[in-house]
Amino acid sequence: MLKAKNVVMDKKIKLVASLVVALPLALLTSCGGENLVVEEAIEDVVEEVVPERNETYYQIPSPDEMFGFIKESGLGFNGELLNSVKNVASYSDPKMQALNFGIYSADLAYTAAFQEFNETTKYFGTVQKLADQIGITAAFDKSLIERATANLGNADSLVLITNTSYFAVVDYLEQNEQGGKLGIIASAGWLETVYVIVNSMDYTKDKDAVDRLADQKLALDNLLDYMAEYKDNTDVADVLNWFNELELVFANLSEPDTEKPDISFKKKEDGKMVLGGGSSISISEEQFNAIKDKVNEIRNNIVKTEL
Amino acid sequence: MKKHINKIVLLAAIVMIPAMSFAQYCNHFHEKYCYPSENGMFKLNGQSKSALFSKGQTSELNILVYAKQDYRISVCLDENLGDQIKFKIYETKKVKVEKVIETKSMQDEMEACTNCNGSGETDNEECYDCEGAGEKATGNEKEVISKETKVVVEKQKQLLYDNSTDGYSNEIEFTVEISRRLTLEISVPGGGAGSSTKKKGKLTKSSDMGCVGILVEHMTTPITGFYGTGF
Repeated sequence: MLKAKNVVMDKKIKLVASLVVALPLALLTSCGGENLVVEEAIEDVVEEVVPERNETYYQIPSPDEMFGFIKESGLGFNGELLNSVKNVASYSDPKMQALNFGIYSADLAYTAAFQEFNETTKYFGTVQKLADQIGITAAFDKSLIERATANLGNADSLVLITNTSYFAVVDYLEQNEQGGKLGIIASAGWLETVYVIVNSMDYTKDKDAVDRLADQKLALDNLLDYMAEYKDNTDVADVLNWFNELELVFANLSEPDTEKPDISFKKKEDGKMVLGGGSSISISEEQFNAIKDKVNEIRNNIVKTEL
Repeated sequence: MKKHINKIVLLAAIVMIPAMSFAQYCNHFHEKYCYPSENGMFKLNGQSKSALFSKGQTSELNILVYAKQDYRISVCLDENLGDQIKFKIYETKKVKVEKVIETKSMQDEMEACTNCNGSGETDNEECYDCEGAGEKATGNEKEVISKETKVVVEKQKQLLYDNSTDGYSNEIEFTVEISRRLTLEISVPGGGAGSSTKKKGKLTKSSDMGCVGILVEHMTTPITGFYGTGF
């Protein structure tokens, strides 16, 4: 989902003669051919289409996976947790628009996962509206919108389309080398899923959900590592400060037990591989409440209206 | 002249388009070319990724795997990159480590007030009331190393799987007992050692480039046996 460095395309179209020589080469590259003409062309070409070496990509589970999980865990839908679609008009600052695009995208996934079709329709429209404002309308092609409109009553299709639209945005931003904006959107989307989960669960009753919340320490690590690649962007730096504060709260969760054997792949008797060993991250009620407070604080800073 | 410019722009566009579309062509490569599991319970995981690689390139994909889930990770690649790919899985974690940090500084060199025999005082030039071991500056400086122990957070990687020890298999299926942050390291053989620097005036040939897809699938780990049936 998140790519640290995009493929570099230096567009140096200075030497006209070189381009003319490069034409047969380009035609050959698209066919995957190889012959002596290629060798001659190499001398004069000034354009480079070379993938960056040792790229590092950071992936964050998409909102629909998290909401699928909380649905399986038996947590119910709570419409009061959504950021009202009425607020969309009040976000005029580009950073706040990008952040709230992430918030609304997660809300869209939440409503779709719980088959709240009326809400899904509203949130799909809101996400499209914000996409237009932040200049990524092109990510939503016409067929996607048509499919969404035609399948608003079909739960499975709706989740699929919601997911497709999320990854369409990710692809679009990656292709257009807008990694900073993608980081802002993804971080807000992740935060909204955590916000919904933490405000939907009961620490003493919902053990699976509590464990999944503790595991978000790992997701936050991925997110911060990705955003750090774009910290020179002032908007990313601002958001990074908020999430660094959240990391401090997550950092208090228990450290791995060094006495337990290291993590490893082991083959069970039935031939199935198991990734086991090591210790899991645990979370006390006090830590749970501290995370909840911090998540609520950051989320409220994002969704607060500017009017 | 205008005609020439138009031709040049057209030629430039023709040159650029195949290269740009090549990169975009990789976008959903994993969905099109990696074989999904035959087990219909597996679902496409959003952490799947495709990217443009050149021979000799190594890249990493950081993903999360959750407890009580089964995962299947498969790798596929364009034919022109060969038929073998190196694929390793590491666990990545941040750990707190105590580190001794040494700081060097220059300080005045001192010498004892040799004529003192008690607790003396000094203004660094003269010794007064010398009844003990006072000190005074010699006028020289010496290097002093002070040590401080600090707790720093370090990223550690532990190798969990290497497909070179598994017949260069391009897929692995496993159950996760405890949630982990994994780094999938993908290396495309070839390209020559030390070819990691870009040379101006050299175009990587498309025969040396191609798409690599990493398909991640997941499902809730099935509970087997009579567990929970009450019998």
